[in-house]
Amino acid sequence: MKMMGSQAVMESLVQAGVKIVFGYPGGAIMPIYDALYDYQDKIKHVLVRHEQGAAHAAEGYARACGKPGVCFATSGPGATNLVTGIADAMLDSVPIVCITGQVTSALIGSDAFQEADVIGVTTPITKWNYQIIKAAEIPEVLAKAFHIATTGRPGPVVIDITKDAQFGRLDFFYPKKVTIASYNPNLFPHPKQIELAAELLNNAKRPYVLFGHGVLIAKAEKELRTLIEKGGLPAAATLHGISALPADHPLYVGFLGMHGNYGPNVLSNKADVVLAVGMRFDDRVTGRLKDYLPRAKIIHIDIDPAELNKNVKTYIPIVADAKIALQELTQKIKKNHHRPWLAEFRKCDQLEMTKVIKNESYPRAGQIKMAEVITMLSEKTKGRAIIVVDVGQHQMVAARYYKPVLADSFITSGGMGTMGFALPAGMGAKFAAPEREVIVVCGDGGFQMNIQELATIAQEQIPLKIIILNNSYLGMVRQWQELFFNKRYSSTRLQNPDFIQIAKGFYIKGEKVQDRSDLSLALSRLIKAKTPYLLEIMVEKEGNVFPMVPSGASVEEIRLE
Amino acid sequence: MKHLSTITVFSQNTPGVLYRIADLFLRRKINIESLTVSEIELPGQSRFTITVRADGDLVEKVVKQLYRIIEVSKVVDSLDHELIFKELSFIKVHTKDAAARHELERLAQMSGAKITYVTGRFLVIEKAGTEEEINNIYQLLKPYGIKEFVRSGRIAVFKE
Ligand SMILES: Cc1ncc(C[n+]2csc(CCOP(=O)(O)OP(=O)(O)O)c2C)c(N)n1
Ligand SMILES: [Mg+2]
Repeated sequence: MKMMGSQAVMESLVQAGVKIVFGYPGGAIMPIYDALYDYQDKIKHVLVRHEQGAAHAAEGYARACGKPGVCFATSGPGATNLVTGIADAMLDSVPIVCITGQVTSALIGSDAFQEADVIGVTTPITKWNYQIIKAAEIPEVLAKAFHIATTGRPGPVVIDITKDAQFGRLDFFYPKKVTIASYNPNLFPHPKQIELAAELLNNAKRPYVLFGHGVLIAKAEKELRTLIEKGGLPAAATLHGISALPADHPLYVGFLGMHGNYGPNVLSNKADVVLAVGMRFDDRVTGRLKDYLPRAKIIHIDIDPAELNKNVKTYIPIVADAKIALQELTQKIKKNHHRPWLAEFRKCDQLEMTKVIKNESYPRAGQIKMAEVITMLSEKTKGRAIIVVDVGQHQMVAARYYKPVLADSFITSGGMGTMGFALPAGMGAKFAAPEREVIVVCGDGGFQMNIQELATIAQEQIPLKIIILNNSYLGMVRQWQELFFNKRYSSTRLQNPDFIQIAKGFYIKGEKVQDRSDLSLALSRLIKAKTPYLLEIMVEKEGNVFPMVPSGASVEEIRLE
Repeated sequence: MKHLSTITVFSQNTPGVLYRIADLFLRRKINIESLTVSEIELPGQSRFTITVRADGDLVEKVVKQLYRIIEVSKVVDSLDHELIFKELSFIKVHTKDAAARHELERLAQMSGAKITYVTGRFLVIEKAGTEEEINNIYQLLKPYGIKEFVRSGRIAVFKE
């Protein structure tokens, strides 16, 4: 079929199964937007208010449903505005495809109007990128883009298309199958390695499973559960592993890392065999590396060979898809239990409960606490909502106190820790899972980093629920200043605008909660609302998140207070 | 411990691969000592020969990260004894008079180098060899006054 390059872009998206695009138009991408006009019945376009919002929305979409998120931006500033979102997707292995307009090929390199070297800028932060200068390349390159973004270890792909390529004509043919000779992610584990791993697990006294985002990406939640149930293996989640195992599972011992639960951190160093699945031993998880897992032989399953032996020495590296590897490993391990070992975790839980949780989740006096809001939210939604959280204290609190029971239900920016992520990502998640309750949890600082997306939410009338946990501080930084910089609160106090008035200005309903006695009903109203709804909750100003592994300390040195 | 590694990278010959490869070394603060690229016997494929002086552990990590580049099909990290390797150099040397020229011609011959270009004022010596051999001839010629010196960077094939 003969068509214009711009139409070929739209047709390729249809062929790739794309249903929604987040974007913002401009000169160099106008032909594509013109073609989009004829495809509105097949592909919905969401007009964000800043391209960063488009990239995070695409991420939120991908993380909530597993399909690639797509965004459009124009050349120059449009494309550079995507950069934070692209880098975020890179570190968190999120499949997004960004299509950027570029100036006419003859002008490239001449410092033309709105020319930016998008390929140069995005090379270090993309899984793959490519500049199309001929219309004929469009279908094949886009097919390749989706293939690369979604297979192996997923990641962001940027396709930069010159204006003349968008105007050019081609004979459209979309390849059904993409093969790239040099790119064949290894899905199947080496049988010998699986055998060795099983033997190690079968003989372990204190085996310990650490699971991450990879389990969700591989849709291996069931396989993870089957494995740990058969082996009686205690299992802990990384920040992105949260929701891969229901929080109420008897073998789930909690959340790892700097502000994770007490037991999962402190007992790491007692484990004799560690099975790490789809996680990458980030420094927020390991603490001081040289004192991490001193007694454990490590089995590490990851689809990206570069993650194996990157941060910790691995005894049995397994390059494979998590789903397949877990299935095969389950077959090989013996039915077992480790009750005394599990009981050690539960003993730690008790300690954490009395020292921290009780007072954080159920305080009786003083200002509202973040943990109490999240605990109540978790109870009211029965852990069945998708929680999209921003970055800061509230993020760690949400990770600690929300108890998701369904998969793909805890979405946050982990690797980059990008403030401003949650509002647009929540929007994307709601488009991906319209039937589910999606609740954004933001700090008063981060909320203002992509606040403009309230307009998009209002225009689309998606019933996204937004909670601002307002402590009038850049709380996480303030906590560090309090603990490690002699309470010198350098530039962390926020004099905030009236968020409810702002929401009103965007035609979004909102209410402010200051008293504990109003909290429960306000949360119920938020959950019941059929429209977008914003709840600003004034919380304790100088609350700290504990437990905490101070940076540079060993996980054993975790502080409860 | 730092040692010299030769990293051979096979990849599709598409724009951008060089950038991605260089970026990986840059991020790990590994200085590239030499880098050569050319097309090889397979159409559309290029071969990068990169020499670096770095910690073996670090090189191993970078090698694995090189595989993340979509176009890269194979990466081999080798030590010198596993390779046949050479580089090419041109050395442009002043010649004051005929006596100097004769002497230089003799030196070149002795070192297994070729004279590729001659004028009244200078001559160009071409020397192919290992880095060490090239360093040696450079030192020999230095007293005569070197006008220009350039070397290609290592190319290598595997012994096995
Ligand atoms: C874009 C960006 N800038 C700066 C930071 C550093 N940072 C991490 S947490 C934080 C404070 C966040 O404040 P707020 O959104 O109010 O959340 P709180 O910690 O108070 O819950 C800052 C500034 C960041 N993560 N991202
Ligand atoms: Mg705050």
